Amino acid sequence: MLDSTSASTGVMPAAVDVALQHEIEQFLYFEAELLDDGLFREWFALFADDVRYRMPTRTNRLARERHLSASEVGEFNLFDDSKQSLGWRVQQMETGRHWAEDPPSRTRHLVTNVRVRPAAVSDAEPESFDIRSNFLCYRNRLQDEVDLWAGERQDRLRRHGPGGWQIAQRTVLLDQAVVLSKNLSVFL
Amino acid sequence: MSTNHPNHPNRDESTSNRPERPVTVLSSMVDTERGLVSPEIFADEELYRLEQTRLFLRSWLFLAHESQLPRSGDFLTTFMGEDPVLVARQPDGSLRAMLNACRHRGMTVCRADLGNAKSFTCTYHGWSYDGSGRLINVPEHDTGYNGELDLEQWGLVAVARVETYKGLVFATFSPEAPPLVDYLGDMAWYLDCLVDRRAGGTEALGGMYKIRLRGNWKLAAEQFVGDNYHAGLTHASAFRAWSGPRDVTRAPQPGPAPAGRQFSSRLGHGTAGFYLEEAGAAAVRRGRGPDADLLARYHEQILPEVRNRLGVERAGGAASTAATIFPNCSYLANIFGSSSLGVWHPKGTDRFESWRIGLVDAAAPDEVKAATARMLHVWPVGLADADDGENWGGIAVNLRGPMVRRQAFNFQMGLGHERDDDPVYPGRIGPRWVGELPQRGFYQRWLEFMTSEGWPHLWLESPRQ
Repeated sequence: MLDSTSASTGVMPAAVDVALQHEIEQFLYFEAELLDDGLFREWFALFADDVRYRMPTRTNRLARERHLSASEVGEFNLFDDSKQSLGWRVQQMETGRHWAEDPPSRTRHLVTNVRVRPAAVSDAEPESFDIRSNFLCYRNRLQDEVDLWAGERQDRLRRHGPGGWQIAQRTVLLDQAVVLSKNLSVFL
Repeated sequence: MSTNHPNHPNRDESTSNRPERPVTVLSSMVDTERGLVSPEIFADEELYRLEQTRLFLRSWLFLAHESQLPRSGDFLTTFMGEDPVLVARQPDGSLRAMLNACRHRGMTVCRADLGNAKSFTCTYHGWSYDGSGRLINVPEHDTGYNGELDLEQWGLVAVARVETYKGLVFATFSPEAPPLVDYLGDMAWYLDCLVDRRAGGTEALGGMYKIRLRGNWKLAAEQFVGDNYHAGLTHASAFRAWSGPRDVTRAPQPGPAPAGRQFSSRLGHGTAGFYLEEAGAAAVRRGRGPDADLLARYHEQILPEVRNRLGVERAGGAASTAATIFPNCSYLANIFGSSSLGVWHPKGTDRFESWRIGLVDAAAPDEVKAATARMLHVWPVGLADADDGENWGGIAVNLRGPMVRRQAFNFQMGLGHERDDDPVYPGRIGPRWVGELPQRGFYQRWLEFMTSEGWPHLWLESPRQ
């Protein structure tokens, strides 16, 4: 199970097969394309029905309390969505009355540093991988509003049909203690 | 009625640089009898600086919830106005608040948001303070200072007073301020709907939401104090996404809007408005989805206890509302499955930060607390807040224009329809679910702070019990 404090052990894990690495990277790029093209309904279809999409709040801590610097389940999270509540956000985009995104923002989701590790799941479950990737999202809005969000995604990707993937879990570590944009009306 | 403001639109900028200018001009900028407010109060740099001293050095300001600092040595850092403040739990269980600035050169002595510590050491020259703010170590004290520096005189500056109301910790820099409970006045009757529903009161969920917004902090404070009006349009997309085409904050059935009330305190506080009938109140209180169902069942279970503690009115409609405790502490009580409370920290005329904690009944079962935490995705972070940010930011951009700043804002909704003798509800009461009575009350009180040389007169209208 991924969590927000699943920091590196300091030992480089074995690299996965280059074709698998390529396939997963292409999936993440495709996901970014859907977001940047405003195809939120299609983006939403990439998530498993049992998904938990969570973005903890971050706090500045003394170095010895660093392990407490991201909020946990049951605490105040920036996002803590089920498939249903993630769906409400997508529906909101489609109402034509979501002023924060109407006129729509221009966004570019950059996804890098994709690290693929086999996930520990039972034999009954489809093949799954734990992916850590870094992101940088640029938003330009109205006349001159600019926002930059950087952080890490901790995803669990699950095989879904031939050649397909589903996002079974996502934790987004946004690298801001005070959210510096006037809202988080984009998906990260 | 003219929407131009008397005196203000044509005043000559070139001859108005006298030091007393803000105070003399201010009274004409806030005309609550006619419902007119000059946009200058949201944009003028000189007024902003005056506000920092006249308002923020004198008001009671929210610091924290007691449950955020349970153990000796627990601390958190926050702001009172633009002043950095360190709040720390003492070994005797009391709370102290002090300026988070070293007495030597003013460097921040605690740069963590929260934690547990026995002492705080400035990173510049190493002056070190204990958890009560006492200066306990100065490098080169015996050599450089020849042992002559009196450590007792150079502890962290204590915030004059810290007081707690049912778990909510407030502080003021002013020794002249009235006791917190008098400052809250008739607001306490309404605030109890949030903090005193059950034995044991409330506790804060872990984690805090902090976001930097564009606009002037008063735009947010006034929205929570009285502006239900915006909800239907600003949050149209949230309601449609969430509950289908029906706007849950409006009439549940075709026909006249359900009866509601707004509360405005003579001391500047207010509630944005609440429904009187259970049908309207339940629509505002309830959310959608499995967590909302669980919370609705919890609400039904505790209702007898709440009625017993607070009475029928406060267990019903009045319990679900947005509100502002003057000047910059706002909360959402029992709205769409969650309650949250926070502060609008000013960061200049056109920037502010929203810091918010989630609140739950301390006696609630763990599954209810967890469900409440998940419901925060609706408010304040998720579906709704994004569109508020768009509006406040857009106003801030427009206020750069001198012509925009000369046109008074209209605060006339419901003007003259309030009453002071409601048989049930304390304070000045507006007769509907929407209106701008509490906003007028907020700006009237703001004006009194801004123009008063001493601590402003405390209008003691004894709250009904």
